[in-house]
Amino acid sequence: MHLLLIEDDAEAARFLAKGLRESGYVVDIASDGREGLFRATEGSYDLIVADRQLPHFDGLSIVSMLRRNGKHTPVLILSALGSVDDRIEGLRAGGDDYLTKPFAFGELLARIEALLRRGNVPEVTTRIRIADLELDLLGRKVIRGGKPIDVTSKEFQLLEFLARRAGQVVTRTMLLEAVWDLHFDPQTNVIDVHISRLRAAIDRGFERPLLHTVRGAGYVLRDAG
Amino acid sequence: MPAEERPFDRIMRMSSARLALFYGALVTVLISILLVSVYLVTRSALEREINAVIRAEAEDLADDMRLGGVDSVAATLRLRKDSWGRTGAVFLLADEHFRPVAGNLSEWPRDVVAMPSSTVEFEIRALERDTDVFHPVAARIERLDNGYWLLVGADTSERNTVLRRFGLATFWGVGLTALCIWLLGAAYARRNARRVREYATTCETIMQGDLTQRLRVDRSHDEFDALANAVNAMLAALERQTTTLRAAFDSIAHDLRTPLYRLRVRLEEAQLRRAPGAEAHRDPEELFGPALEELDRVQRTLATLLAIARAEAQGLTTHGDRVNLAELAANMVELYAPGMRAAGLEVSLQAPEPAPLIGNRQLLAQLITNLLENALKYVPSGGHVWVSVHNIPGAISFTVRDNGPGVAPEDRAAALRPFVRVGDAADRATGSGLGLSLAAAVARLHGAQLTLGDNAPGLIVQCDFPASATP
Repeated sequence: MHLLLIEDDAEAARFLAKGLRESGYVVDIASDGREGLFRATEGSYDLIVADRQLPHFDGLSIVSMLRRNGKHTPVLILSALGSVDDRIEGLRAGGDDYLTKPFAFGELLARIEALLRRGNVPEVTTRIRIADLELDLLGRKVIRGGKPIDVTSKEFQLLEFLARRAGQVVTRTMLLEAVWDLHFDPQTNVIDVHISRLRAAIDRGFERPLLHTVRGAGYVLRDAG
Repeated sequence: MPAEERPFDRIMRMSSARLALFYGALVTVLISILLVSVYLVTRSALEREINAVIRAEAEDLADDMRLGGVDSVAATLRLRKDSWGRTGAVFLLADEHFRPVAGNLSEWPRDVVAMPSSTVEFEIRALERDTDVFHPVAARIERLDNGYWLLVGADTSERNTVLRRFGLATFWGVGLTALCIWLLGAAYARRNARRVREYATTCETIMQGDLTQRLRVDRSHDEFDALANAVNAMLAALERQTTTLRAAFDSIAHDLRTPLYRLRVRLEEAQLRRAPGAEAHRDPEELFGPALEELDRVQRTLATLLAIARAEAQGLTTHGDRVNLAELAANMVELYAPGMRAAGLEVSLQAPEPAPLIGNRQLLAQLITNLLENALKYVPSGGHVWVSVHNIPGAISFTVRDNGPGVAPEDRAAALRPFVRVGDAADRATGSGLGLSLAAAVARLHGAQLTLGDNAPGLIVQCDFPASATP
């Protein structure tokens, strides 16, 4: 996977690129808006990570120019501006995701992963299967090992979000955004309680756990096998 | 640069002095015009009256002459010989050589040229209390048959005295009025100038940083008092804000310094362990995990502060969405319920009907979560939290009640200010102390007032969104 990182802070760019390369991505760095726009237009990248405040062209202008030129490369915007309005502005300009600085590297990685794999699971699907866990999206039922499992509707939403991204790390923030439509981090780890309840529902009494905690990042639903 | 300012120039620079002078001049001129016209009208009325009396008298005597001849006139005049003393009337019948025939004048007055049907003015000398007194007389001269001359007149000294007194009264009246107006004007101007100067001095002191100063209100309820009251209200608001800001800065410094200090200690510890000869390298997660937690704390504090600042500064114009507060509250209660149950708290929601309002969904969600987190933090295990949203006519009433320790009445106002944490020191370690103040700021942004009350026992947080925020 080939990523373009547009970031004018050399130290941050070096650190992010190093981390992304260690995670198996090929990373190009552009250090200002003009170079970023040029590379984004000319090259063929799988994803662009663009800082919002940049010399020459800011991240939002780059995104809107790309979109006007018919380029649909997913763009993740990084910004020190974190209010709800700033975020809406970023997404309206054509960004696919918006991450407020400072962020945990795990959060960025999880979101890049999510953007890259978007579309792997078709939206219109009725059943998702992970090992012996089965989700009936129409009947909103969960079955594991042939036995039906009772979950609340929110737990089902959580499980569906994780199941659609099976094998990917999903962060707490992503869950808050997707399931509760909250774009801020509460002080207490409310999500953890929901996850442990979900874990109790689907993993208790089964030999192989499916819902795993990824330290410092979030959760992943996968067959550890 | 004006080299030397004369006192008069200084006075004239005051707007009120200019105003007083202008009005003084105007009033003086108007009163003068009024009094002078009254004087002129009075004088001409008096003259006309005297002339009419004289003319009537002269015509009567002329008739006498035609009917009864000189002797009849002389007889009439003799009858009126003492009329001078009584009415100040003057009569003289003289022959063609101006020799007196009858009347109360001893001779034809000198300097009086005899012209038929003319009006003349002269002075006569009368003996009063052994002194000669000159009396002004206005008279009419008629030429009678046979060459006789008739002079009929009246003493005008009375009239002249009246007019002179009137003139004097006019002069002094105008003068004194002008003097009074100017004195009052000057006093008023001085008073205004003094108050303005006083305000300016106070303002300078305030600008030097003493926000406790206030403009003087002298209870005269004039426009200066109104101005002073308005300015004082503004100063009170400014002082309140500055105090809050100052307290916030102090607390921010403290709240950020503590986790930053711990972070530093951990990083230094990590550095030491990497030094040659140090003990074996332990699990890096043990070192860096807590460090990252401290960093998260700093980050959350900053984010909340920014959210408060934004909620305080912005209007709802940027993003007013339709938000169903009942649904949002249900959603948030659902989010927190498992955590609360795990902490031994019971939580119940009462939101029977939709509660739509125009607002910022994220900020309203933050308001609700902050109140729930507060309950989670302060209500001991076994407690109960009630959340209710009611769509009452004209308003949407939102309350979060609990049966925890509550907040003492004297602490309630302070609890809504940034960084104030109620309760004992142990509680202070948790949380940023920003939760309630952000909730209050969000409520204000939505036109609502967040109030803390006594749930006997426990805390009740009440927030009524007014009808204006309700579509």
